[in-house]
Amino acid sequence: MEADTFDPDLIHAIFKQIWTRRFLERERNGGNDATDCEVGAGTSKKNRPTSANANAVKLSCELLRVFVTEAVQRAAAIAEAEGVIKVEATHLERILPQLLLDF
Amino acid sequence: MEGDANGIDVEKEEDESFNCPLFDRAAKRNGLEISEPIIAYIADFAFKYTEQLAKDLELFAQHAGRKSVNTEDVILSAHRNDHLASLLRSFCNDLKAKEPQSERKRKKASRKEDKATTSVVHVPDL
Repeated sequence: MEADTFDPDLIHAIFKQIWTRRFLERERNGGNDATDCEVGAGTSKKNRPTSANANAVKLSCELLRVFVTEAVQRAAAIAEAEGVIKVEATHLERILPQLLLDF
Repeated sequence: MEGDANGIDVEKEEDESFNCPLFDRAAKRNGLEISEPIIAYIADFAFKYTEQLAKDLELFAQHAGRKSVNTEDVILSAHRNDHLASLLRSFCNDLKAKEPQSERKRKKASRKEDKATTSVVHVPDL
């Protein structure tokens, strides 16, 4: 049975994509400064993008799952209060501010 | 640029894989139907939220002088909501309890309390 949550590999892939993007930008900007971050493939400066612990990824999946669940359930609550059976975009709109504040 | 083009492709793919049964189940629990565009909106949000989360996590890890994001960083990113933070913390504790290898970190505690308390897993070497 598939667990009711996001795929950790997917989340990890997204993280890596962002971190590599940021890493490349840093390199680009760092090159302009011409400081001492020159040759040194293995130096422990900012020479590799951020990585993540396996548990951190699982925890992030959980966080995202809660985010999505909250969004849907809050919107559904509004729809129910209106007496409508279908959750629409307007319901989602209304819960958005509080949701973004909570997360 | 090639890098960017790849980025955009991956984005779309991942957007779609966000549309997992998770959404349907969450809505149907209340006995309500969920309209099509909502799934796309929420998938988009979730993706953007993930991007924000990635940036935050990177900053927290860097701030702590680390290159690798760990569970404390994730819990910290939920600091705005106490309830959420405690939820994450207990989830994290559950994960650690299931892992047999992490028992090594509990050397300090287990040396003193070992005889009295029985932890969930066996400590391989002390």
